Order: sequence, then C-alpha cells, then structure tokens
Amino acid sequence: MLCRDVKRVVYFFLDGSLGKHKQTDFDSHLRLCPDCESRTKLHRRLREFFRTRVERLSAPDRLKTRLTRSIRAFRAEWSR
Amino acid sequence: MKTAVANEHEQGWDFEKAAMPYVDSLYNTAYRMTRNSEDAEDLVQETYLKAYKYYDKFEEGTNFKAWLFKIMKNTFINNYRKKKLTPHKIDFSEIEESYERVIQKNAPDLIKDPETDIFQDMMDEDVKRALDSLPHDYKMVVLLADIEGFSYKEIAEILDCPVGTVMSRLYRGRKMLERTLLEYARKYGYIRGGAEPAKMRSRKDETKGRKKKESADDEPETTEPEDNEEEALFAGAPEEEEFDEFEVEEEEEERFEIE
Repeated sequence: MLCRDVKRVVYFFLDGSLGKHKQTDFDSHLRLCPDCESRTKLHRRLREFFRTRVERLSAPDRLKTRLTRSIRAFRAEWSR
Repeated sequence: MKTAVANEHEQGWDFEKAAMPYVDSLYNTAYRMTRNSEDAEDLVQETYLKAYKYYDKFEEGTNFKAWLFKIMKNTFINNYRKKKLTPHKIDFSEIEESYERVIQKNAPDLIKDPETDIFQDMMDEDVKRALDSLPHDYKMVVLLADIEGFSYKEIAEILDCPVGTVMSRLYRGRKMLERTLLEYARKYGYIRGGAEPAKMRSRKDETKGRKKKESADDEPETTEPEDNEEEALFAGAPEEEEFDEFEVEEEEEERFEIE
C-alpha cells in the first residue's frame, strides 16, 4: 500500500470497514510511515472531536404530543 | 397488505411504542436538513404518518429505524422539489487541494504531533456551522454514519443509492468537514502557531467578534452555490455521472473488501 492509497482509504479504515487484507496492509504501512501514522491519528482525533461536540437536538415535547395525537386521529379514522 | 392499524388490531402491536424511540434521531436529522424547527417538526410528523399509513411496505426483520429515515428522506426530497430550491455544486479537485493546503499551511504541527490539544477551546457553534456548511448530500451521509451510526449498506438503502456512492460521499463529506474545522480552528485562534499565528482571545471577545463577522466571506468556500448541476441527484439521474473524478464507486467497493 502506498501513501496515496492510505489517504484514500483512511476513513474506511477508521470505520473498521476495510477487508482483512487491506486492514493488515494499512497497519503495516503505518508502522513504517510516520507521516501516514500521524495523519491517521489526526483524522481519528477530528472524528472523535466532531462526534463528541456536535449538537444533538431532542425533539420538542410539543412535537411528541403532535405525533401521538395525529397517529391516534388517523387510527380512529381508519377504524371507523 | 397489512397496515399498521390492521397489524395493531391483530397482534396488539403498538406503532407508537415502536416508532417513538427514534423521534429524537429523526428530529435531529430533520433539523439539519431543513435548518429550522418548524419545518423539521412538520417533516417528522409527515414521516410518522406515512410510516403508519404504509406500514405494509415495511419488510419484517429489516431495520425499522433505517426505514423511517428513508421515508423522511423521500418526503424531504418531494417537498424540496416542490420548493425548487437550488442545490449546490462542488468542485472536488478544489476540495482535495485546499485540504492539503489547510493541513500543510495551517497545521504542520498537527502532522508532527497529532496529539496536540487544538480543538479543546473550539465552540459548539463552530462545530454546528462546520456541519451546516456541508452541501446537503454530504451532510446527510456524515449525519447518518457519524451521528446515527448507520452502516454503509443501511445508508445506501435510506438514500436509494449504491454503497460506492455512499462511500465516495462520506469520503468527501468528512474531508470537507475536517477542512472547515481546521480552518475555524486557525481563524479563531484555537490552533497556535501556523503561518499566521492567531491571537488568543477570551471566549467573550470571541463571541462578540464573531457576531460582527457574520458575512459571506466567513463561510467556507465549499458551500457557495454555483449552479444547479447537482439537481440531477434529486431527479434520479445515474450516480456515475456525478463523480467522474473519483473512483470510489461500485468497483472500489469490491477492492476495499467492505463488510
């Protein structure tokens, strides 16, 4: 695996989605190439940072009430 | 044909009980798609009613959450088409190049030492803006993969596209997101050093300064709408035509030995 290939598949490596052979190639490359190793670490850090810091909105209570009401209304209409 | 009503009647199955646990996830994604709470609420409501109405289309044993997301995506596209909004066009070679520029110019120390604590002080608002700056299709795959935890296959199912397309969008979406985060990190002084050492400011000054700076030049280049070439995406055009410069498509899927 070349540095170029590492760049192309780094996200899939971090997703754990590379096949066994590619995964092994990737690991071996990182052991020999400090630049790719650092880049991979940076991608990992950025991802962890994004995942922990990105805002996760909760549905407002009024929406939950709306949903329950509309489903019940639909059900009542259907069953009639 | 088995509607949710019939199913509930026969088996005591409770649609609300089954679907409600996903309301936060759906709303979170809906909000990112529509960018306002009113439209997001309407979109989630429409999604739930459609899911209830067309429950007979759901294949037992498949992922119910993914099915709800798929309905929401389709509903959004229908509404989106009606409103005739102009989608964004992106220059991908520009993204690749400028990503390298951002790394080399602004964060060379990150390459040497990726453990450097650079993002600690970045504000949540910056993270939100970075995500919102992604063009719709790229934001969707990043949201579905990195926030909702769907697999490539599930995302492909939700978005009605090949797994290879999901991968290429993820690759680019994540790259654009990282680039924007790195740019913000430098711009607002979270990265010390680099070509233009940024001044360290207090959070208060930061917020104040930021408000004044809300202008077009503040936005990352990737979000600039150019023309509506990408509208083809929503018209069901063949996916191959969109990514001619990038080869992570069907063939690559095999090469990567995914899943």
